[in-house]
Amino acid sequence: MWEQAGIVVGALVTLAIFSLLYKDNPLYRFAESLLVGVSAGYYLVQYCFSAIYRKFYIPVIGEGDLWLLPGGILGLLILLRLSRRVQWMSRYAIAFYVAAWSGYLIPSVLQERILIQIRSTFPPSLAEASIWAVLGSLFLLVGVVSILVYFFFSAEHRGALGRISQVGITFLMVGFGASFGYTVMGRVSLLIGRFQYLFQDLPQALSF
Amino acid sequence: MVTQSGQGEQMGAGEQQDARQGPGQKTPRWTHEMLMNMDRRFIFVVIAIAVAAPLIFPLNLPVRSSREAEAYFNEMEKLQPGDEIIFSFDYEPDTMAELDPMSVATLRHAFRKDVRVLAQTTYAGGVGIAERILRQVAQEYDKVYGEDYVFFGYNPDYSATILRMGESIRSNYPTDHYHAPTDGIPLMKGVDCYDDIELLVTVTASALAEYWIIWAGGKYKQRIIAGNTAIQAVLIYPYYQAGQLAGFLGGLKGAAEYEKLIGVSGAGLLGMDAQSVAHLAIVCFIILGNIGFLIQKSRTKQTGGPRDSRQGG
Repeated sequence: MWEQAGIVVGALVTLAIFSLLYKDNPLYRFAESLLVGVSAGYYLVQYCFSAIYRKFYIPVIGEGDLWLLPGGILGLLILLRLSRRVQWMSRYAIAFYVAAWSGYLIPSVLQERILIQIRSTFPPSLAEASIWAVLGSLFLLVGVVSILVYFFFSAEHRGALGRISQVGITFLMVGFGASFGYTVMGRVSLLIGRFQYLFQDLPQALSF
Repeated sequence: MVTQSGQGEQMGAGEQQDARQGPGQKTPRWTHEMLMNMDRRFIFVVIAIAVAAPLIFPLNLPVRSSREAEAYFNEMEKLQPGDEIIFSFDYEPDTMAELDPMSVATLRHAFRKDVRVLAQTTYAGGVGIAERILRQVAQEYDKVYGEDYVFFGYNPDYSATILRMGESIRSNYPTDHYHAPTDGIPLMKGVDCYDDIELLVTVTASALAEYWIIWAGGKYKQRIIAGNTAIQAVLIYPYYQAGQLAGFLGGLKGAAEYEKLIGVSGAGLLGMDAQSVAHLAIVCFIILGNIGFLIQKSRTKQTGGPRDSRQGG
């Protein structure tokens, strides 16, 4: 019963949001405000339950794991940003977070996003792969080099450099085109999802 | 290109045209002006019909599977009964339409092969999605919570979650989402880190697949497959090409391909007709817009006017 009611409310709110496509109206604004309010409440509860209760209160108060206290204190320091007098103290917590994050990320990103990607740009030998795979890799190499030349700004793009950067622009345009195509597909998929909800889930819930 | 201008802009363009032509000259204004300044509400209606009609009257257009989807399928197919996988629901309700079909199909494939699933989410908004899908698919295959699958819930800070699971899943999740101690869950016997996991599946709408690759894949050599939104798929190709990702699905099309490979029809395959017809409508609008642009360009060339109406009359 409640699930069915929820589906009906979901359908009504979907239609209210769609009404913006005609023009702005109070129904749309109500649905928008409802979404913001419900989301804020949901996320507040989730974050409090998952972070403060599960990750701090239970281990420290319930199990006496005092190693988590420094982390908790740093977390509280961030909240001091709300007061002008003591907001400077929040910088210690942010500095710690930035340092830890950089330590986590920089070596791993260098290895996984740069070194491995550079290595995989080079074509395999004919002994390892088919002629088509090698040609494909060569094509990829041309694209990478010409795009890198396009982004080289220390010399005027004339002569050979200009022609290579033109090739780079062509590769970039193809990349942007593919990206745009995928974006259109993604947006249409979202619409399909809503329509499946309206035409399939809703009648099912109402037992048509 | 078809502009998404409203009626106000149409009037502006028409007045500009009148000013150029002068009084007494009658020209077939409707041709390129209509194409160039189409009312966006007309476009919305056509797209709505293009999406709705195939959902009501399916066309059953063929779906061909891509190499990436086949690689994703093969990774799942290699799993043996009793193997464990980590399944991370790394998305929220805004991308459910694209990613729910992937999650459902992957769990169906896993449960059909009696593979055990350790589920979690790195998004607060993913909790409800994960619970609903796990319950639905587990019921379909008579799977028991705690023995065949477990849900750890949401853990704040994805970076710490990914790294810590390489050391100990138990220390990362002392309890499951329903407050049961992880040590007491039968499924968790002998399972505590990536070394004990055959495959990691992330279904994500963000760059999270990259972080799983960087930390779980790079540091702990965990084998990974990913389901991504269409927008994200473009950024995932380099990792697949480099072998850092064993397979991936891109958007609703990827979900449909995978559903076809496992032989179970779902929302992905059902949505493919609508996707194809909507794309056809969009391509038609692009062609019409460009025809209008070319006509306008040739006319302004003849009259010696500006090359583009967007530059002013």
